[in-house]
Amino acid sequence: MKTDNTHAILSVRHLTATAYVLQMTRRGLGFRAGQHLLLGKSGSIHNREYSVYSGEKEDFFEVLIKEVDDGLVSKQLKKLQPGDHVQIEGPLGFFTIDKDFIENGKFLFVATGSGIAPFHSFTRSYPELNYTLLHGVRKVAEAYEKDHYPKSSHILCTSAEASGDFHGRVTDYLRSHPVSADTHCYLCGNFNMIHEAFDILEQQGVPADQVHAEVYF
Amino acid sequence: MKKIAFKTLGCRLNQYETDALASRFHSGSYEIVDFNESADIYVVNTCTVTNQSDQKSRQTINQAKRLNENAMVVVTGCMANNYKESLLESKAIDFVVDNERKTSIFSLVEKHFRGEVADPEGFDHDVFSYEAAYKTFHTRSMIKIQDGCDNFCTFCIIPKVRGRAISRPAKEILNNIREVIDYGFKEVVLTGVNIGRYQDEEVNFELLVEQILNLPGDFRLRISSIEPDGFSDRFFELFAHPKLTPHLHLCLQSGAESILLKMRRMYTAKQFRQMGEKLKALYPDFNLTTDIIVGFPGETQEEFDQTVQLANELQFSHIHTFKYSVRTGTRAERMPDQLSEKQKNQRSEVVRQISDHNKRAYYNRMIGKHQRMLIERIGSDGVARGYGENYIPIRLKAKNVTRNTFVDVVLSHLHEGKELEVCAVLASDHINA
Repeated sequence: MKTDNTHAILSVRHLTATAYVLQMTRRGLGFRAGQHLLLGKSGSIHNREYSVYSGEKEDFFEVLIKEVDDGLVSKQLKKLQPGDHVQIEGPLGFFTIDKDFIENGKFLFVATGSGIAPFHSFTRSYPELNYTLLHGVRKVAEAYEKDHYPKSSHILCTSAEASGDFHGRVTDYLRSHPVSADTHCYLCGNFNMIHEAFDILEQQGVPADQVHAEVYF
Repeated sequence: MKKIAFKTLGCRLNQYETDALASRFHSGSYEIVDFNESADIYVVNTCTVTNQSDQKSRQTINQAKRLNENAMVVVTGCMANNYKESLLESKAIDFVVDNERKTSIFSLVEKHFRGEVADPEGFDHDVFSYEAAYKTFHTRSMIKIQDGCDNFCTFCIIPKVRGRAISRPAKEILNNIREVIDYGFKEVVLTGVNIGRYQDEEVNFELLVEQILNLPGDFRLRISSIEPDGFSDRFFELFAHPKLTPHLHLCLQSGAESILLKMRRMYTAKQFRQMGEKLKALYPDFNLTTDIIVGFPGETQEEFDQTVQLANELQFSHIHTFKYSVRTGTRAERMPDQLSEKQKNQRSEVVRQISDHNKRAYYNRMIGKHQRMLIERIGSDGVARGYGENYIPIRLKAKNVTRNTFVDVVLSHLHEGKELEVCAVLASDHINA
C-alpha cells in the first residue's frame, strides 16, 4: 500500500560493484543541498540516512549509496528496480551553505568515499561556487562520477594506489596544502577523517564556525 | 464531579503539556486530585529517553491501576509513541494517546463518559493547541514554543517520538504569555524539544526572546534548557535584559571532541567552552547547568577525563547525568564497544560528585549577594521557599510574605537539608542590620 511518503524508483545507476545511485521521484518536496533523507524500502521498518546527491533544481531525488558488507538497508535498496517504491522521511539536516556566501565565498569540500554526495548536490545546485573538492578513496575506480567536477576543482586522493591526483589520504593532502583562514570548510565522510581534519584546519587558522561536518558511520 | 489525577515523567515539555491538560479538565468541572489518591481517571504522561524512564513510566501506569482498578487509565507522552503496540495490549491501560494527539485527551475522556465510542486515532494531529494553563502544578508557567527535533543525534530517540521540528507561531506564543501574566504568573519558562532552532518565518529564537522581554508586566523569563548550537552574539547580549534570568541549562553531553562527533552533536567541545567562558565573562554570577551522558559506546577513560575536565573548568552548578542506554532505532544502537553498567555507574558517580562540589562552591560564592526571590510555597514552619533569578533554591524566614510574589533578598548561608539550599534575609532587613 502506498503511503504519503512513498516515492517510485526511476533508475538505478551502478558506479562500482558496491556503489550505486538511486534516482526516485521527488513529488515536489523542497530541500536544500547538503540535507539528507531517511530512506528505506517501502513497507520496511528499517531506514538509513543518505545525503541527497542531486541538485535543488532537479525534479527528482538521487542518493549515492555504498553497499555495506554486513548492512541491511543498503543491500535491500540495491535490489530495487525502476517502478519499485521507497519510503522517505525528510529532507533533514543543517549541513547546508549559507546563501550569503555562495557568490563570493571560497569553499573547501573534503569527502571520503560516498561522503562526496552532498558536495555533488552543492555543485549541481550552485554551479557558480568557487570550490576545491578533495575526494579521498582507496582506488581511482571509486572516484564517483568525477567528470561532473571541473578538473581544476577536483583533487582525487588515493590511499591504496598512486594513480590519483595525490597519493595519500585527504588529511595528508590538507597538511601539505594549508588552507587560508577565510575558507568555508565542509567535511563529510568517515569519523576518523573528520576528527583529524578538524584539528588540521584549526591549526591552519580556520575559525571553528567556518568548519562544518557531516559524519558517516 | 469526576476526579482526575495526572503524573508527568521526564522533561519540562511534558510538564507544560500536563499543566495545560489539567487546566482544561479543571475548567471542564473535573476535580484534580493527587496521583496517590483514588481517582476516576489517571493520565500518565510518559517519557522514554532512557531505559530508566521506560521503567518508571511502566511502574506509574501499574500504580494507577492499583489505586483504583475501575479507573480509566490514559497513557500519553513519548513512550506512547515508542511502544504503542505493546501498551495497547496492556490490560492496565484504557487509552494510548500519542504526542501528536495529546491535546485531544479532554475530548476523548468526555466522549467516553458520554457513552460514545472514543478512539484516540480519530482526532487530528495538533501539537500546539493547548490552552493557556492557569491551573498548574508549578508557580512558574511553562510556555511551549516548539516541538520535535531534526538534529538526529545518534543516541537520541526523540526525533522518532516527537517528530520533525515545528515552531509555534510567534503571535500565539506572545498571546499565550500575555494570558499567563494576566493569570498572575511571575515567571515564564520557555519549553520545547530544541528551542534554539525556533524559526517562525523571520522570527528566530533570539528575536522571539526579545519580543517576549518587551512585553509589559512584572515577570521574568527563563530560557532553561537549550542546545548549544547556532548562537549569535545577540544571544549573549540578551542576558543583559533585567527580565531575562542569568541561568542556562546548556546541554554538553560530552567534553570529548571525538565523542561529540560520534554523537553527531552540532558543536565542538571547544565551541562549547568558548560559549561558557563568554557567558561567565559577561555575567560573572551566571549560573550554568548541563546534561552529560556517560558511557556512550566506545567512550574511553581518556575521553571521559576530557568531560570531567570541562565540567570542572566551566563549574556547572548542576549536572544532570545520564547513563547512556541503547534506544532501539538510533544510530548508536549499532555502534560497537557498548560499555558495561559497572563502568557507566562509576563514571556517573564521578560526575555526580563534581556536580555536588560545583553546586556548593557556586552557592557559597553567591553568599552576600542580592537575589529577587519568587516565593513558591510557605511551609507550616513559616519558611518560604522559592528561587532567585540565578535559579538558586532559597529559604526565607520572614513574616508578611506571600506566595507567588517577588521579594528582594540577600543570601546569607547554606542550608544542609535533603537538598542543598541557601538561606536568605529580606534585603530591607539586611540594610537595617
